[in-house]
Amino acid sequence: MLLTLLFCALFAEWVTPYDPLQQDLINALQGPSVEHWLGTDDLGRDVLSRLIFGSRIAVIAPAEATGLAVLIGVPIGLFIGFRGGWWDWVVMRVVEAVVSIPGIMVAIVIIAILGTGLHRAMFALGILYSTAFLRLARSVVLTEREEVYVKSARVIGAGPTRILLRHIFLNIAPPLIVQVTLTVGAVLLAEAGLSFIGIGVQPPQASWGTMLNSAASFMELSPFLAVPPGIAIVATVLAVNLLGDVLRDSIGRGVRVPSTGAPAQRMLAVPRKATTPMAPHPDDALRVEGLEIMVSPKGEAEVPVVTDMSFRIAKGETLGLVGESGSGKTVTGLGLMGLIGTGVRITNGRVMLENTNLLGLDRRDLEKARGNDVAMVFQDPTTSLNPTYTVGNQIAEVLRIKQGLSHRAARDRTIELIDRVGIPRPAQQADAYPHELSGGMAQRIAIARALSCTPKLLIADEPTTALDVTVQQEILDLFRDLQDEFGMAMLFVTHDLAVAADICDRIAVMYCGEIVETAPVDALFADPRHPYTAGLLSAMPHGQSGKPPLPVIRGSVPAPGHWPTGCRFAARCPYAIDACAKPVQMTGTDRLERCTRADELSLEPAK
Amino acid sequence: MLRLIGQRLLAMVPLLLIVSVMTFSFTALLPSDPVDLIIGDRGSEEQYEMVRERLGLNQPFLTRYADWLLRAMTGDLGTSFFNSVQVKDAVLQRMPATLSLTFGSVLISITVGLAAGVAAGLRPGSWVDRTATFGATIGQAIPNFWFGIILASVFAVSLRWFPATGYVPLTDSPMEWLRSITLPALALGLSTSAAIARQVRSAMVGVLQQDYIRAARAQGLSSRRVVLKHALKNALVPVVTVLSFQITVLLGGALIVEQVFAINGIGSLAITAVRQQDIPMIQGIVLILVLVVMLVQLATDILYGLINPKARPT
Ligand code: SF4
Repeated sequence: MLLTLLFCALFAEWVTPYDPLQQDLINALQGPSVEHWLGTDDLGRDVLSRLIFGSRIAVIAPAEATGLAVLIGVPIGLFIGFRGGWWDWVVMRVVEAVVSIPGIMVAIVIIAILGTGLHRAMFALGILYSTAFLRLARSVVLTEREEVYVKSARVIGAGPTRILLRHIFLNIAPPLIVQVTLTVGAVLLAEAGLSFIGIGVQPPQASWGTMLNSAASFMELSPFLAVPPGIAIVATVLAVNLLGDVLRDSIGRGVRVPSTGAPAQRMLAVPRKATTPMAPHPDDALRVEGLEIMVSPKGEAEVPVVTDMSFRIAKGETLGLVGESGSGKTVTGLGLMGLIGTGVRITNGRVMLENTNLLGLDRRDLEKARGNDVAMVFQDPTTSLNPTYTVGNQIAEVLRIKQGLSHRAARDRTIELIDRVGIPRPAQQADAYPHELSGGMAQRIAIARALSCTPKLLIADEPTTALDVTVQQEILDLFRDLQDEFGMAMLFVTHDLAVAADICDRIAVMYCGEIVETAPVDALFADPRHPYTAGLLSAMPHGQSGKPPLPVIRGSVPAPGHWPTGCRFAARCPYAIDACAKPVQMTGTDRLERCTRADELSLEPAK
Repeated sequence: MLRLIGQRLLAMVPLLLIVSVMTFSFTALLPSDPVDLIIGDRGSEEQYEMVRERLGLNQPFLTRYADWLLRAMTGDLGTSFFNSVQVKDAVLQRMPATLSLTFGSVLISITVGLAAGVAAGLRPGSWVDRTATFGATIGQAIPNFWFGIILASVFAVSLRWFPATGYVPLTDSPMEWLRSITLPALALGLSTSAAIARQVRSAMVGVLQQDYIRAARAQGLSSRRVVLKHALKNALVPVVTVLSFQITVLLGGALIVEQVFAINGIGSLAITAVRQQDIPMIQGIVLILVLVVMLVQLATDILYGLINPKARPT
């Protein structure tokens, strides 16, 4: 497209079928015909020829104006960037003033001084758009100066000014190129506009803008006249803008770290025999059976992130779901609520909340169950509250929608709840915005909101991890108090065994998307049955000693899709034998573990 | 909030001063002598001096500026060189048409931009998204006046749904007023709609990935409510910023679109003034336009504070 334009502009004399200025009043305002492909205008001139000659202006005009804008803007921008102080202040105020006047008006005033005509109009646009280049150059100098002076404080050698100059020339090019394409597009539009209102290119010279001007006057007689020059402008601007987008993207990509090559071979989940279904128990608040969650990363095959996940939580009980990051514990928590995002799906299993399978609910029933029957507290309280509403509003909203409370009643109950989670001056704090609260306070609010509808199950996803150490304990105590009062079951997701030990009744240890061991807290600490659990226990910082936790488990957690078919811990397990290469089932009765050697090994308890 | 408004109003003063100095000195650079234009070639020497005297052109530059500034502060922007019309009256008389157009286009671009942006942002990569993004790219490449011509020839000339030309003041007939500005406002609002749609789309995509959206869903609020109440308010923040930038674009664009629809607004006033080198008129127009821009930007600042509590002064 742009090449065609350039070609037309260069060879206009040879390409055009007619002289663009040759008048033929008898054949004025003709529609398209064999002789005149795009018809004739009000003076009988050939539209196609004028269009082609107009392309010459469409090339010259942006070139002139953009060139001038760069020539004026960049040096001044560099200068004030370097010089700073008074110069900088004055020039920037002038720029601000220019920018606050509508651009066309600035151009009109400048044209008033210089007179009408293409080159003068382009001079005006050049001055106008130089402000953009000025700002760009200035900001590049300022950022680079910061960086270079910080660095050169350490590196002695070449003077900082020389380094700075080199840095600036390296860094200014990409944004400059993008800005040039933006400006070319803007100039094209502005030139057409100015010519259209008769103060740019002067008739009889052909420019797309002047062609549109005469087209507008003959709108009733020949509506087609407006089409060719308009399409020409749109197509050209579009081409320039798209070029700009492409440039911006490719420049942007150069900066971004390229994603590391696709994993060579990925191990798909080998279908395994699921653990025998658990018998329902009247005390169960939650029973998860054989949950399986798959993720499809962009453009790659689906891989499992959670497999054969089964556990139960009794009413009023707290189960800790413990594992390193990447073990699938968070996605399990979200999966229970049906809150997994796009590209993730639950492929198997049941989530029985008392007698309903949450996974079997349709969207509306699931929405009803969330909040009322099961609620969630997230890791970072400062991001899990909406920054644009007051915290009281966010709690009251839930009470109104889910419990049908009136505005008044919701407000009163909200203040009660805020008071209950231990926030002083609750009525006042209800009107605070999330950013006005400390992390601990915000988390209390999030807890109050989660408990507002007295759910049967509360899922807490690392609720203390983002908080200050001193606040962590308070929040844990709060959870315990509230559980005594509200009687809900809790699923407490954490990577921190110490936290889990503090608050949980039982712990389920997760590794690579599956539970490897479940046991009451005391039993787990005193007598770990799975080598991974033992590894985690020995990695815990113990007592007051504050010594670095040793020994650490060697190696790292394999990513989903790279799990071994046998025991997923085998590569890191000091006790691995040949038998571990086969899939391992959960075994045991009151406590469960997933290790072929669970019975024979005697592992070190927590210190 | 009141203090913020006060501060912003105060901050406008130096900017207005700079604009006035700039326009004043630029217009002093005018190459031709306005007196020649007024009395023509055949004026005598005395006539010439008389006119110069009357216009105050025999005074030194600074005196003229100080004089003009003092009177401008009392709201007197001088009289046109060519007819004894008060500049202020002329501008104020033309303003309603231009402002109607501009604000009409603001309304249109907010509505269209929000709708398209939200629809696209909800499902990135879907056909809705691709259509909207494609439309926005085209929309930003179409000159507003050409779109105006097309709209006029289709809806006014061929279909006769709207008048092709002219402006009917709101006070004369609200219905006709609406009809007279619909097409021009549509033409003018196209590129801003596209700009807003792009912003809303990317803001929406970002906001929907936020924790608080997931938390609101976890609380069992319906998707509709989550999108319209929780996500939209956050996605509006960048829209307000775009709008405050776009207002100069729209006002400038209005000057041109007015010509398509033969609306007697600031556009034709400015073009005539430039052709006649009517210095006081040009100065007055620029000053009042800048004032309008600043007031609108003040309004968007306040709006910004309303939807983004973090930006509020504490
Ligand atoms: S099954 Fe084998 S490899 Fe896996 S934890 Fe047990 S002993 Fe280690």
